[in-house]
This record gives sequence, structure tokens and C-alpha cells, in this order.
Amino acid sequence: MKTQKRKVLIVDDERGFTNMLSLNLESTGKYEVRVENSSERAVEAAVQFQPDIILLDVVMPNIEGPDVAAAMKQVRELKQVPIVFLTATITKDEVDSQDGLIGGHFFVAKPSPISYLYEIIERILSS
Amino acid sequence: MTEITFIRDPLQVLIIEDNPVDQKVLLSMLKEFPRSVSHIETAATLLQAQALLAQFQFDVAIVDLNLTDSSGEKTLETITRLAPAMAIVVSTGAYEDDLGLRTLSKGAQDFLVKSRYTAYVLNKALHYSVERKRLEVSLQKAYDDLKDTQESLVKAEKMRVVGALASGVAHEVKNPLATIMYGVTYLKENLTPVDEKVDVVLTTIHEATERANNIIMDLLDFSSMSKLNKSLTDMNALIGKALQLSQHELESHHIKIERSGLEGPVNLIIDSNRIEQVLINIFLNAVHAMRSAGVLTIDVSQFKVAPTAVLYSKLKSSGFSLGDSVVMVSIGDTGKGIPHEQLNKVFEPFFTTRRAQGGVGLGLAVAKNIMDLHGGLIFFDNKPEGGALVRIVFPMNPRML
Repeated sequence: MKTQKRKVLIVDDERGFTNMLSLNLESTGKYEVRVENSSERAVEAAVQFQPDIILLDVVMPNIEGPDVAAAMKQVRELKQVPIVFLTATITKDEVDSQDGLIGGHFFVAKPSPISYLYEIIERILSS
Repeated sequence: MTEITFIRDPLQVLIIEDNPVDQKVLLSMLKEFPRSVSHIETAATLLQAQALLAQFQFDVAIVDLNLTDSSGEKTLETITRLAPAMAIVVSTGAYEDDLGLRTLSKGAQDFLVKSRYTAYVLNKALHYSVERKRLEVSLQKAYDDLKDTQESLVKAEKMRVVGALASGVAHEVKNPLATIMYGVTYLKENLTPVDEKVDVVLTTIHEATERANNIIMDLLDFSSMSKLNKSLTDMNALIGKALQLSQHELESHHIKIERSGLEGPVNLIIDSNRIEQVLINIFLNAVHAMRSAGVLTIDVSQFKVAPTAVLYSKLKSSGFSLGDSVVMVSIGDTGKGIPHEQLNKVFEPFFTTRRAQGGVGLGLAVAKNIMDLHGGLIFFDNKPEGGALVRIVFPMNPRML
């Protein structure tokens, strides 16, 4: 039986990064990925794509990650979608010391090994 | 003859004069004002003067520069060096006005030309010189303090700027690093290696990226450290954990470990993660110093700060008070030790002796920061028998910071 691919939305203005990340995620055969490089279009992209999980950058031009997350929580069909913040503003040690949760949100430090990111995604999707 | 009331206590005077007649004249002039002088010693040579200076503390010396064993400005230099806080009145011959004036710029407070002064002028000159010297000394001290303060302010500001710059750059660099990392990961997973060299290239890129990332982490660590997460921690257990985390390095370099001192729990209120970082840093430095084979010694002791205790002056100058209880961890290695001129430099950011091996020079700067935040102390020394000795000292009852 073929399990259905899980949908991952990546919102990050760093194009090189989103390209590499989506290539990796897709190559596992487990995820269907959509990338949005503009934070202003993030909510719209999420409503269209209906992701199972959102990977969201924190520092972006115009609208920052936490504001994007707040806007998503206002939308009925996105309210339940888990968000993981991907950010260079904190270190992996800082995240680990908080058990991966800061203020109730999942955080993954940039750069973290891709295997670590898979682990977090799987943990969230299976709960 | 008028008796004058002097502001200060009677003076302790040293007369350095090789001519017995001149000596006598001076003595009798000083005795004319009994309240001016309380104690007089005389020396005919520089050698005698040296002996007296080692024995007594004089307020002022009356100095004839030309002695049998020393002459001219050299006499003045020697005396100033031996007693830097003592006032000096130079006594010169009748036609040596030039010399007299010159001595004023070389550290003398006044000069008198022989047979051209009275007892009153002599006594006045002595008191005037002592007062002038006192002001000079306190001015010098104020100047030194000011300079120290200025230096530490400049240093603090420099560190702040470096810190801000470093963390700004670090954040900017982490994004492209993450991109490279995921790119390489993808290639490693998906490229069928037609050539095993390709695999070597990818592994090398990956390792280099990780090293760059570690450097950035160190930089961030260094620049962002401001608060601690303190809790009650057993120092002995923490040392055990840090040793365990360094086990791979220690074993692969065949380093033996010898522990001594206090056994059982040694409880301190510290940030255990940060102190663990300090310990690992010191352990790994020791490993690098010993290269292959050697002994790492770790001693834990507890004592009260007292003049008889080890490191008294060091502890005092670092803000510890008499009677404070401290815990000291001493970590020694059997490497080559640290060149004397580098002992204070090791804590400077970006100082490293292992630049070629990828050292950034932030490890010990971070360690010092962490110890400072704990109100503690870290410093390096060399053991008499060779090898470096690092000591970290913690207050038992952390002072409020």
C-alpha cells in the first residue's frame, strides 16, 4: 500500500536555501513540497496548498515569520497546521536547552543537519 | 631666630654627603628647628645610603650628587629608584646652578646651593619638598588610575563593537552555510559516484562547512554571553561529565587522568552548561599541548582567602575579600607549558597558537567571560616541573553581580 505524501510548505526569502531544502525533502519520496519566497504571499500560498506542516523563516523582509504565523492562526483552515520556525537567529544549543519549543513553537536552528529536521517533521506529523 | 609651626609631623631625614664639614653644617642647621625634624641619618657614600634606605623610611633626603662611589645625575637616578616615594633636595656646589636646575626635571623636588642658604631656608625647603612629592605621588596615582579606567573602558567598548559586528555577520553567514550544507547533503544522497574522488570532495566540503559553522557558533557564544542559568551543581560530578565528553580526544591521544583533592559532592551555584564548556575547553587545550601521551591532573580544593593561602594577591585583585570561601579547580598538563609573554595573552579574543589547525582563538576568551560572569577567576601558570597549570576559582557564596 502506498502511503500518501505529506505536504510541506516552506516560507523563506533565501532562494538558495529553499531550493536545497525542497530538493532534499522531495528526494525522500515522502513529501510534496511547495516553496514561497515572499512572506507577503505566505498565507495565500498556505490556503491554496493546504499543507500538513509549515516550515517558516523568522527574519524576512516586510513581514517577519512570527507575524506570518499569527496571520495564519486567524485563518480557519490553517489554525491547526503545525508551524516550525527555521531560523539563523538562534543556535542549536539554545533550541536544545528549550527542548525544541520556544513560546509554544517548534524551532530548528539554521544550519542543522537535514536528518535532524526530518526527525522534527516526523515527530510533529505523527503526533 | 623664629620658630615656625610646620603643618606636617616632624620629618625623617637622610643626609647623603661625603664632606664631613658640610655634613656637620647640615646637622646643626636642622637642629635649630627641633619641631621640623624627628629623625636624622647620615651616609657618606651611595652604598651606605642604600643600606639605610633598606632599613628606614625617610620623608626626604638631602643629597650631594658627587660622592666617592657615584656622581652627578646617576646618584639621583639610583636614589629615586630605591625610594620612589621619598622627596629629594639636591645640595650642589657654589657654581652648579645649572646642575641644580637640571635635577628638578630629573625627579628632585628642590635644590640648595651650598653656603647660600640659612637654617630657615633649609627647613622650609625640606617641608616644601615633602609636600610637593606627596602631591606628585597622588597625582601620579590618580593619573595611573585614570589610565587604567580608560584602558578598560576602551577595551569594553571594543569588545562591544566586535560582539555586535560578530553576531551580525554570523547571522548573515548562517543562511548561505545552511544552503551549502543541504546542497552537499543532497548531492551525497543522490549522486551515483562514478568516481570515488567525487565522494571525497563532497565529504571535504561538508566538513569544511561544519567547521565554518563551529567558528560562527563560537563567535556568537562569545558575543552574546550576558546572562547565566545558575543552579546548584556538584563540581566533581560536572568534571566527570566534562571528562566523559572529552573522552574520545583524551583516549586517542593516550592521555592519562589523575584526580585528587576533595571527594564527594562539592556544591556550587553555577551555570553548569557554561562551566562544562569551560572545563572541556581547558581539557582540549591540554590535550593539544601534550599531543600524544601525557598526564592530565585535576585537583579540587576549598579554602578561605587569607594572606597565607595560595594566590592571595591574585584573588584580592580580582575582587575577593579576606575570609571569602572559594573552590578551586587546578588542571595541569605535561606539555611544554606556556611562554611567559603569552600567559596574559591567552584570554585575548582571536589569540591562538593553532591558527594553522583551524583555531579561531575564542575558546579561552569565552571561558574568561564565563568565569567573570560567575564572579570567579581563571588564569594560567606554568608548573615548576614543566607543563601548564590552569586554575579556576569560584566563590562559594556568589556575590551579587
